Amino acid sequence: MTTLAVPLPSTESGRAGLRHAIRSEWTKLRSVRSTWISLAVIVVAGIGLSALVSNVEATRWANLGPVDRAQFDPVRFSQTGEFISQFVVGVLGALVVTSEYSTGSIRTTLAAMPRRTTVLVAKAMVVGAVVFVVTQITAFISFFVSQEVLTAHGGKALPAGSSIVTQLRTSVIPVVTLANGGAVRAVILCGVYLTMLTLIALGIGFILRHSAGAISLYVGLLLVIPLVIGILPSSISGSIEKYLPSNLGLAMIVVTTRKTDFAGVLLSPWAATGLLALYAAIIVVLAAWVLARRDA
Amino acid sequence: MISEIALVLSGHAVWGRLLMIEATGLSKTYGKTRAVDGLSFEVRPGAVTGFLGPNGSGKSTTMRMVLGLDRPTAGTVTLDGRQYHDLKWPLREVGALLEAKSIHPGRSARNHLWSLAQTNAIPKGRVDEVLELVGLTAVADRKAGKFSLGMSQRLGIASALLGDPGVLLFDEPVNGLDPEGILWVRTLFHSLAGEGRTIFVSSHLMSEMALTATDLVVIGRGRLIADTTVDDFINSNTEATVLVRSPEASRLAEVLTSSGASVVNGDNGSLLVTGARSSQIGEAAHAAGIALHELSPQQASLEEVFMDLTSDAVDFHGITSATTRAAS
Ligand SMILES: Nc1ncnc2c1ncn2[C@@H]1O[C@H](COP(=O)(O)OP(=O)(O)OP(=O)(O)O)[C@@H](O)[C@H]1O
Ligand SMILES: [Mg+2]
Repeated sequence: MTTLAVPLPSTESGRAGLRHAIRSEWTKLRSVRSTWISLAVIVVAGIGLSALVSNVEATRWANLGPVDRAQFDPVRFSQTGEFISQFVVGVLGALVVTSEYSTGSIRTTLAAMPRRTTVLVAKAMVVGAVVFVVTQITAFISFFVSQEVLTAHGGKALPAGSSIVTQLRTSVIPVVTLANGGAVRAVILCGVYLTMLTLIALGIGFILRHSAGAISLYVGLLLVIPLVIGILPSSISGSIEKYLPSNLGLAMIVVTTRKTDFAGVLLSPWAATGLLALYAAIIVVLAAWVLARRDA
Repeated sequence: MISEIALVLSGHAVWGRLLMIEATGLSKTYGKTRAVDGLSFEVRPGAVTGFLGPNGSGKSTTMRMVLGLDRPTAGTVTLDGRQYHDLKWPLREVGALLEAKSIHPGRSARNHLWSLAQTNAIPKGRVDEVLELVGLTAVADRKAGKFSLGMSQRLGIASALLGDPGVLLFDEPVNGLDPEGILWVRTLFHSLAGEGRTIFVSSHLMSEMALTATDLVVIGRGRLIADTTVDDFINSNTEATVLVRSPEASRLAEVLTSSGASVVNGDNGSLLVTGARSSQIGEAAHAAGIALHELSPQQASLEEVFMDLTSDAVDFHGITSATTRAAS
């Protein structure tokens, strides 16, 4: 009655490892509705908010003075949706882990794959890859849609290859293409930023093991800490601010404003990317460490 | 231990890999709670071994340590001499049901089993097979969160059987099952054990264990109380009493007393004999030419024996009748 009709493949060679764990995590991720809702919000809100903000900024163009016009960043406006997406990917990354703790299914997972670091790496790779692909596609679509919005308001494309920061004396709304300096970098780093945030949330999930706690801490890192630091004397806040995750994200995405109102306030895009990667690495390594040591 | 041996039981070719669960000095402390305290026992293949103990006695903790989920404070538990962590394909060697409801409520039964199967390279067809086996085929694509407790137990049993393992652990598997479900589980366990697998089942329901298990590991407050068989457990913990009826009761009483047994009068002219087995009583009566109308050994139920043994090891007592009376 219980013996196999379906034979199991030979167990002579190999062992349950990363590639098995990755397949399993992919099945788990795609088989719950919250994943698809999160991804839909990232795409719809990402593109929608970016188009909306581009539209608002374009209508304000006529009333802007020269300094404001110099700060007009058609790339950054096209990635405004990132503000919403950073919370969505945080919830997604945390829930991938904490939903297993809240249901108790983490025990089933770890019994099937006793090498716990493998489980963590598989989860990080699967949710990281999914978020990377979806946010990257969203970032490019947002970019093109937003440029269309600016064009509809009478915007004119900058000459190909020209750097976006040279538009100081333009009289029409600048519209950019991927051929303009800094544009491709900003759009790609938008997806990279959101992917690294996902991994940070996943790590926090393993450390706190509780959905509400993990999401609160994550939101705190992105929103509350900047507020707290904002009320400190500017001599102190000025030196800390640029290292906050949300400002690292800004540094990765802005183009024109780097030379103006954010001058000296933000790190360079690549330094910001490196530092955020370091944060993510620290949190994920800490998560692997506690996962290996604690009782499940 | 013995391995790669094909046994033949009742004409069926059975499970080839025999696995013994062995705990040695197993201990687990959570803060100040000694959940498991120097536990040593063996669970052998080819039998259903009941794991009995009152609430909070450390059954679930022990099972988690077998599966490498909780790290023992001291001692070891091994499967055929190996640590769980060192199993190459854990689900193909050990299947477990720890908690029935430990499934993402939004995931279908089929996807849950499939994700589990993938971790140990178990083919997809096996998922359908175990669904069929536990009778969940019709609801396989429904969300597990909508399942009743009984259906969840069946899904948990399906996931334990997924890798066709030689060792199966079940923590309170009949919780929430209706009588038909309980009978189904009992039959399933017997057939799994009949195939030579090692079945380790925890339960509160002593009467259920008496019908399901042949071997017993009994614990109280994390300590071993008995590691034995159901029959020996009852026999060695009860003074065997035999009820006898005879038309010549008083003469029989004299015969038995003179042979060293002690006899008291029971209801309706019966005799309650201790210190002699029913076979000895029957032979003594025959030798003396006394007719017997009844000769029945009085066995204490597993429940009574268990209550007796663990009464001082029970952590949580209910409100006593004295308290209730005082309140009214
Ligand atoms: N993770 C934990 N952290 C702290 N204490 C724990 C933990 N797990 C179990 N305990 C404690 O250890 C003791 C044994 O618990 P365990 O769940 O193993 O008992 P059990 O025999 O399975 O009980 P039940 O029959 O109620 O399921 C209890 O006192 C319990 O409170
Ligand atoms: Mg328990």
